Amino acid sequence: MKLLRHLLRSPGFLVGALLLLATLLLAFLPPLLMELDTSRRAGLAYMPPTSGRWLGTDHLGLDMFALLVSGLRSSLYVGFLAGIVATVLGTLIGVYGGYKGGWIDDVLTACTNLFLVIPSLIVLILLSGSLQEGRSLTLIALFIGCTTWTWSARAVRAQAASLRSRDHVALARINGYGTLGIVCLHILPYLLSYLFMVFILQTASGILTESVISMLGLGPYDTVSLGNLLNQAIRNEALSDGAWWAFFPPMLLITVIAFALYVLNTSMEGVFNPRLRK
Amino acid sequence: MPAILEVEDLRLHYLTRLGKRVQAVDGVSFQLQPGEILGIAGESGCGKTTLVSGLMGLLMPPLHLSSGAVRIAGRDILRLPPAEVRRSVLGRDIAMIPQGALNSLNPTRKIRDLATDVILAHDEGADRRAIQERLRERFTRIGLEADAVLNAYPVQLPAGMKQRVVIGISTLLNPRIVIADEPSSALDVSSQKAVIQLLFNLLDEGIVSSMVFITHELPLLRHVAGRIAVMYAGQIVEIGTTEQVIFDGRQPYTRALMGSMLSAEPGQKSRKPVAIEGAPPNLGEPISGCRFAVRCPVAQPDCPQRDQVLREVAGRHVRCHHAH
Amino acid sequence: MFRQHPTLRYITARAGWYALTFLVAVTINFWLPRLGEANPVDTLMARVSGSMDAQAAREREESYLREFGLVQTDDTGKILRAADGTPLRTSILTQFLRYLRMSLQGDFGRSIVQHPRPVSDIILTALPWTLALQIPALVLGWFIGNGLGALAAYRRGVLDKVFYPVALLVSAIPSFCFGILLVYIFGVQLEWLPTLGGYDEALNPGFNAAFLSSAATYYILPFLSVFLLVVGGQAIGMRSMCIYELGTDYVRYAKLMGVRESTIVRYMFRNAMLPQLTGLALTLGGMVGGALIAEMVFSYPGLGLSVLTAIQSLDYPVITGCTLLVTTCVLVANFTVDILIGFLDPRIRAAREGEA
Repeated sequence: MKLLRHLLRSPGFLVGALLLLATLLLAFLPPLLMELDTSRRAGLAYMPPTSGRWLGTDHLGLDMFALLVSGLRSSLYVGFLAGIVATVLGTLIGVYGGYKGGWIDDVLTACTNLFLVIPSLIVLILLSGSLQEGRSLTLIALFIGCTTWTWSARAVRAQAASLRSRDHVALARINGYGTLGIVCLHILPYLLSYLFMVFILQTASGILTESVISMLGLGPYDTVSLGNLLNQAIRNEALSDGAWWAFFPPMLLITVIAFALYVLNTSMEGVFNPRLRK
Repeated sequence: MPAILEVEDLRLHYLTRLGKRVQAVDGVSFQLQPGEILGIAGESGCGKTTLVSGLMGLLMPPLHLSSGAVRIAGRDILRLPPAEVRRSVLGRDIAMIPQGALNSLNPTRKIRDLATDVILAHDEGADRRAIQERLRERFTRIGLEADAVLNAYPVQLPAGMKQRVVIGISTLLNPRIVIADEPSSALDVSSQKAVIQLLFNLLDEGIVSSMVFITHELPLLRHVAGRIAVMYAGQIVEIGTTEQVIFDGRQPYTRALMGSMLSAEPGQKSRKPVAIEGAPPNLGEPISGCRFAVRCPVAQPDCPQRDQVLREVAGRHVRCHHAH
Repeated sequence: MFRQHPTLRYITARAGWYALTFLVAVTINFWLPRLGEANPVDTLMARVSGSMDAQAAREREESYLREFGLVQTDDTGKILRAADGTPLRTSILTQFLRYLRMSLQGDFGRSIVQHPRPVSDIILTALPWTLALQIPALVLGWFIGNGLGALAAYRRGVLDKVFYPVALLVSAIPSFCFGILLVYIFGVQLEWLPTLGGYDEALNPGFNAAFLSSAATYYILPFLSVFLLVVGGQAIGMRSMCIYELGTDYVRYAKLMGVRESTIVRYMFRNAMLPQLTGLALTLGGMVGGALIAEMVFSYPGLGLSVLTAIQSLDYPVITGCTLLVTTCVLVANFTVDILIGFLDPRIRAAREGEA
């Protein structure tokens, strides 16, 4: 599609996509190439990096690099699942409201704005805090998905509303297609590339949200994630001990993902917002 | 009488960020007499808009002056310091009515304030009451309901009225020369009539005396312009009186252009509009020979070789060595 | 009268919507913590029941139940009982209404961990620290950020070429990462500034010079952590908006008419501010969240730290009290910005008056 070509030409998009691909590689390549064990002690607590242990050890003496890769995978999983949930929810609400217009649109927009204004971090804190034992990766991902859908709802709604007035949609309506039919056949196909971008952004945003929540201590129980690693580092005074390898790598990864997200978002806006596309 | 506007071999180019140079205006010369209306016609991309920026003295990067002069009442405005251009040339010597006035008004400012800003920028007195009275009087004179319009925000006015407001603001300082850039396109028919009527009123009342009128609509050219210049690929290819250019064009492009413009005039209905095939040359590359040769229906083998100049043929000037 | 005052109608409509949002927020605040199994009374009992006999334990439990509004009482405060002597529990709806009433009065109950200290007391101790940090950081950051962005857009010189990539990088760093980075670089490695806390623990809080100067040094890093990120984010947004405004037809027309540079700058600023304000309404919640996280990272004795310790010790009344307060503040701020935009943007004003 023409839009994809535009995207590929913008430097922001390329940088962002490359960074995300690099993180994916980091998550999935090392386990295939070497043995990574997060349960066996590789040395004493907070030992600095050596050629054998690339990132040193954590407070329990476990290999930091193995923990990092494992944490990255967990965070990616959470982000991915949260991304799916948020995108699906947001798309359903956005497309329905955007296409139908009228009072349905007003109600749905009011709902969306409602959840937009209430800080999602607060809701997540309350959700996570209420569940002590059962905090699995999947549950956290669901929580995040259910609280961060507002952005995609707004974005998709704008696109759907602009499609509403197109000729082929009017034609379908005249031919007697119902709402579901029109949405599936005439609106969603045109939004596919946009929805894909939305999904990527929600996923990256999910990863970031997870790391925030986990850093606060409300993350998944008993599973290593990027945020959890930071939480452990702070709790065990890695900062004051100067054990930079305990918190800097997860922080760097999180920052890289956040940066990629930001840059992708900007380039996407540049392409999909006709006003800026002069 | 000396010409009020004298354009002498004006050449303007764009420098893109990648260093590419596009010669958008390549040697345009003409004169405008006081009280005269000159029409400029041509396809999009022929350099009309760039020419207008040059005439205003508003040369901002990436637009640059290659060479040439633009003299208003004898003063070369392209060689004046920018502060002087802003103060005395823009709006006073020469004013423009831009294309697409719909976006030319600052949406967050009342019409009254916009007009006041223009007056104040030219040091024409700081007495607020005098300025307001002057605005009122002028707007009423051009047929707008002064109080309602002046207090309105642009968003509250319909398109046709916005265009007339822009004309009002552009002519506020009684400029010697007015450049109207497609003033009535993108308007519905009745608004178009009102705009053209307003321009005529301004001419009759003496608020406006000399005008350069850019349009692609034949009826307008015929009714408004005394002389017409046809532009192609950054150059004037024919310049003469309205009758000469419209009905007796000697340059092949002129004839093709006039033929391609729809006309509902009596006697013209039988003529079908013929689109000109092909596209204008790329002005980023050096061009030799006649620029129209590739698309010219009567091109000869020597046309792409010979560089063309404006020569006098049958009482007007034509850029074609085969014209007679 | 209502009909003739579109402004009043607008404000009332927005106020109504925000009241509805507040109701939803309170409901969420009430229901979510109750999704889990944890019961504040059980937690309290677990701590004290070891040293009591059965009778004393039961009486203590009933007093706790009454305190948390979980049992029905008559007008004198005596517990109503069923036929077999067990106290009658209140319905969840009654509990909700009680919660709503108490919240509106500012009474958030008592902390579980620091029982019997009232939650409002905990909040009031932490609130001044938070306000002293956040309000200057967010407000100054917003204004300076927008100013720098406008400057960069207008004078596209060296400032822009250097400033823009730096700001881009900085604003992409998540707030807590930035905080940790600052602590590590300036606190641990360079040892220029203290790392955690609000003041030197050896000193006693009070309005004396020693304490205030100590608090000031502890203030710098958390302040910078919030301030710099806000400046970076705002500057980038404002710069794009200003660049857009400078390229519009109306700016071109104003230049064509010889309007002064200073006037055009004013046009650009005014028109670019409006989308920035709208954006503020959307991101305010996020900004406040980021600011609270900064407090947590620095162990700064504000609301952020209170929430964090409450989370870690499962002190639900404190958690919900703080979150409700923060949410309310965000809603109030959003409402203010909404009304402000309604007044500043003539397009909205005109549309409104067109309905009159």
